[in-house]
Amino acid sequence: MSGETAITVSATVNGRRQTFTCEARETLADALRRRCQVRGVHLGCEHGVCGACTIRFDGVTARSCLMFAPQADGAEIVTVEGLADGDELHPLQEAFSRHHALQCGFCTPGFLMVAQELLAEGGPLTEEVVREAISGNICRCTGYHNIVEAILAVADARSGEAEK
Amino acid sequence: MKAAAFRYHRATSLDDALAVMADDDEEVRALAGGQSLVPLMAMRLSRPEVLVDLNGVDALAGVALDGGHLRIGAMTRQRDVERSPLVAEHLPLLRTAIGHIGHVTIRHRGTIGGSVAHADPAAELPAAVVALGAEMVLASTGGTRVVPAEEFFDSYLVTAVEPGELLVEVRFPLGAVPARHGMAEFTRRAGDFAVAGAIVLADVAADLTVRRARVVPMAVDPAPRRSARAEELLVGRALDDGVIREVAAAVAAGCGPVDDIHGSAAYRRDLVAEMTRRALARLRQGAGE
Amino acid sequence: MTGTRHGHEPGVGGVGAVVRRHSDPALVTGHATFIDDIESGGTLHLAMVRSPFAHAEIKGVDASAALDLPGVHAVLTGAELVRHAKVQPVGWEHIDNQRAAPTYAMAVGKVRYCGQIVAAVAAESRALAEDAAELVEVDYEPLPVVHSIEDALAPDAPRLVPEWPDNVFGSQTYGNGDADAAFADAEVTVSERLTFGRQFGCPLEPRGAVATWERYTNRIELWINSQSPNRVREVVAEVLGVPVSGVRVRVPGIGGGFGSKANYYGEEILCCLLSRLTGRPVKYIEDRQESFVATSHAREQRIDVAVAATRDGVITALRGHIVGVLGGEISSVGMGPVWLSAVSIPGPYRIPNLELSVTGVLTNRTPYGSYRGWGAPKATFAMERIIERLARELGVDSNEIRRRNFVRPEEMPYSNGVFATLDSGRYEHCLDLCVERLRRDGWYRFREEARAAGRKVGIGVAAFVESTGIGPSRVMARLGIAQGGYDEAVVRMDSTGRVTVFTGQTEMGQGMSTTLAQLCADELNIPVDQITVVMGDTDACPYTGYGTGGSRAAAVGGVAVRQATGELKRQILRVASHQLEVDVADLEIADGLVQVRGLPGYGRTLADVAYAAYRRLTDVGEGTTPTLQGRAVFDPVALTYANGCAGVVVEVDPATGGVTVLGYVMVDDCGTMINPQIVDGQLHGGCAQAIGGALLEDLVYDRNGQLLTTTFMDYLLPTAMEVPPFSTVHVETPAPNTPGGMKGVGEAGTVPGPAAIAAAIDDAVDDPAVFVRHLPVSPEQVYRFCNAAG
Repeated sequence: MSGETAITVSATVNGRRQTFTCEARETLADALRRRCQVRGVHLGCEHGVCGACTIRFDGVTARSCLMFAPQADGAEIVTVEGLADGDELHPLQEAFSRHHALQCGFCTPGFLMVAQELLAEGGPLTEEVVREAISGNICRCTGYHNIVEAILAVADARSGEAEK
Repeated sequence: MKAAAFRYHRATSLDDALAVMADDDEEVRALAGGQSLVPLMAMRLSRPEVLVDLNGVDALAGVALDGGHLRIGAMTRQRDVERSPLVAEHLPLLRTAIGHIGHVTIRHRGTIGGSVAHADPAAELPAAVVALGAEMVLASTGGTRVVPAEEFFDSYLVTAVEPGELLVEVRFPLGAVPARHGMAEFTRRAGDFAVAGAIVLADVAADLTVRRARVVPMAVDPAPRRSARAEELLVGRALDDGVIREVAAAVAAGCGPVDDIHGSAAYRRDLVAEMTRRALARLRQGAGE
Repeated sequence: MTGTRHGHEPGVGGVGAVVRRHSDPALVTGHATFIDDIESGGTLHLAMVRSPFAHAEIKGVDASAALDLPGVHAVLTGAELVRHAKVQPVGWEHIDNQRAAPTYAMAVGKVRYCGQIVAAVAAESRALAEDAAELVEVDYEPLPVVHSIEDALAPDAPRLVPEWPDNVFGSQTYGNGDADAAFADAEVTVSERLTFGRQFGCPLEPRGAVATWERYTNRIELWINSQSPNRVREVVAEVLGVPVSGVRVRVPGIGGGFGSKANYYGEEILCCLLSRLTGRPVKYIEDRQESFVATSHAREQRIDVAVAATRDGVITALRGHIVGVLGGEISSVGMGPVWLSAVSIPGPYRIPNLELSVTGVLTNRTPYGSYRGWGAPKATFAMERIIERLARELGVDSNEIRRRNFVRPEEMPYSNGVFATLDSGRYEHCLDLCVERLRRDGWYRFREEARAAGRKVGIGVAAFVESTGIGPSRVMARLGIAQGGYDEAVVRMDSTGRVTVFTGQTEMGQGMSTTLAQLCADELNIPVDQITVVMGDTDACPYTGYGTGGSRAAAVGGVAVRQATGELKRQILRVASHQLEVDVADLEIADGLVQVRGLPGYGRTLADVAYAAYRRLTDVGEGTTPTLQGRAVFDPVALTYANGCAGVVVEVDPATGGVTVLGYVMVDDCGTMINPQIVDGQLHGGCAQAIGGALLEDLVYDRNGQLLTTTFMDYLLPTAMEVPPFSTVHVETPAPNTPGGMKGVGEAGTVPGPAAIAAAIDDAVDDPAVFVRHLPVSPEQVYRFCNAAG
């Protein structure tokens, strides 16, 4: 039970600088939820399999349950709370709702973070590519069908715009 | 599932990390990508007293061509290795192998050194570094030493790394191993650890005669090992279906799988033969043209 | 069909409309509130000391080291618990000889399964509570472990409850006609022993509870992610000896339930009790590893099934004997799901002679409770497997056997004499649609071409019915279920003309708050976005006899909402009638007005009517009670039967045993659809769980009663790569006994899939020696099918 000294961590979370103290052993997911009040980071397994705690960490997706909070010192973090532009939903958020790609919504933040990264990479998306890309995230409600449709719909809309 | 308490040390340099690692009064563990260690800590199956975070040691990350070697820093992210043009050019197997690891989000954080040092025999990178004849560069306050991959893995999650030592680099000799590769693995779901798998490297002449070969089965031994018998059977013979079958059978006969919830030892033995067959068939595709 | 539709205007979002869920914006932006988001100042966190042994005497518990740890407030043990708490009630006492196995919220004197709670530690953080839990020293004396059905039923078996003569919790036989005679006279008989593995609902959000026991008011406020807040309230009151009115249960957003959150558990009792003992709010969040040992298990059964038939394939008799592998303690539903499997085996078929029996045995495993589908997936697996077996025996297409034995619409209501009265449905039509959709999607041609190329592709079909909309309170009482099956609803219009629906149903992702609003909108003919649905608060919301489960929320709760809305509408019209001096019969609600029929635009706005009813009572007729509120209680007169058919296409890799699900057609008759998009979503999710149940998910115990699958690396939930796109087909045969025609759709997706997948694998392997008898079927088993020695 040694070494429970508090550590001060300072990170940018959804564009805002946040400084908090925590125990070294606190996962980044717990710290984001409890110290930074970003409750869209969900804990479905705490061992890195379900993907519900996925965030963007220094530009790329990461599972926040697989990092300790002190590792975030100086980091740039975006969570699902950082996707929408004010009251305007991100196109993926809008599409998830329109296509009924969420039911309980507990896994949804993780799917949105992964889908957002997939779209940002800009490659051509097929159903197969989307399924592969989201296969690290578990949804127990939707059977994935509408999640795939929602992501493809946003991709299609984007490629439609690009052609204009 | 909350980790037991530990002292956190963010290493600022390799020397700094090694100095902490050298403390033999406390159990010290190095934190690389954390994709395997952190879950073990959350389950309290691993409970270091001190955790040395290597993520701030920039010198440990990077891919570089250096004379006859491709050197990959232990903290290089798997995703960066996967996307490295140098790796694509010189070590296409490594790229293939990393493509099988978990999911992209895992590969963003996971490092080559972390996976190799974790030494899970069902994982891709330990098998790949054995196949590629890589050298593990281990550092401690006492200096560095180099351990060939084939001597690095002792058994399940056990390696040649001594207390106080750190895997700092994986060094791949270029031209020392065959150029063509084939890989196959069977998983229960996309991205899972292999139930069984195989990696093969071979130089194949225009008439499909195998000049050199390296064969490494996955998930069927306590640690990744080359199958000497399979390699003997390949060298000097044309890579036809009959030879492939013989080699696959030799791999199966020579491995030591155990039962677990995803499959019995007997099933794994059959599976590893099939994966060897598939890996060789993939390797053969386009060969001899 | 159209008779169930109301003539609402476009844009209202009534019955049959695709309406986007109002819960979505908060969920997609991360702002929804789940149980782990509930935390007030001073909250203590619970960690459990769980038994590492499957069966052991507890000789002693020493918590002194844990209590010495700074920040630890209390450690509760079974010995202390019994001074404050009664036994956990079993809601289902429906088997005639069902025994009592008193179960407390935690182990008292003895543990009967790995993971059973031995002590509960309350500390200032969860991590600290876990530190302290490690310091609690428990002196166990291990006892012999009952691992399997065979172990449990062995004459010299160790007994889990020493006072019992054996390990049988209950056993009962149900019959109709003369099965013995029918089998004796049969032209052909076939029989099989089938087994179904142990699985569970496994919602992505684990269970959790936060309790505050107010010292001065002696009231308990309990936040819990339960599907059944009213049941939890009554259980907490009963166990802790407080009046029901002294317990307020509140439910935040639920991260999936699937029945596992319909059961009640010991953890919520421990939260309440520790709150009283510490004077602080106490919170427990089950972690993922705990969930595998602490959340109700389900599904595991051994099924002996046989049919007698004519050479023409007409089934004359059915025998089914089911043994359910219960756990070491009895869950809140007793052996209900096992019983339902047994009595549901006949499914959609007309079988005159039935002999069905059910036995529940105790084993040293986690308690057995609810999981989406309850008894139906195993019943369907049994019936559809034996039909496939009969088809092989007779050399005819199994679909032909189905057609010859389906209960026909003109025969309904059809009672099979055991349990089911099939009320409505066009079973053969559903089968036809399934085959037709498989053909239209190209799967028969695909199979032919693939086979010609040497690939092993197969198609399997399974028909099903499932009892939905539980349940008539009198039926439930007759069964010995200590709960009603009715629902109460209250619908209010406020003084600005907006409407709020109060219901005892809960939202767990299935879209119930949206579909209830649609029913209300449909009845009032006002836009759905003007309706708020309030749920999940036993102080504010009406009572429901059973909670959300059993595919009843729409078929029972929805009807109550519709009827309460009807009462509200009558009040609105009465006020408007006075205002407009027009007879109520000549008024209608349209375009936000209460207007005179045939005179569009002539009337009062709803806002004005509402204002008058609350705040300008001079404008309301003499003798009219102020305020606008409808209340209704709906108790169905009979169960209804959702039904349909699944068609699954698989490819088997004979060299690995890997099975890939390529295509999946789901035909479902859930009666009237309220929101077709939500119906599809329910079917998709259920079908994915069917795939998991048939191919991946398995709770595996070793001989010592240790659960080997306690991570997501071992208990395999399907990902997007293991699940194909789904092709759904809808049939809407209104439920005759449900006003509005809804039957329920929450569980249907899970029901026929396992049987269809088994048939598809048989078809793919295409070897007369191969017949899938156990699910989930592992790649290794499929590999053995394809590579049988000799």
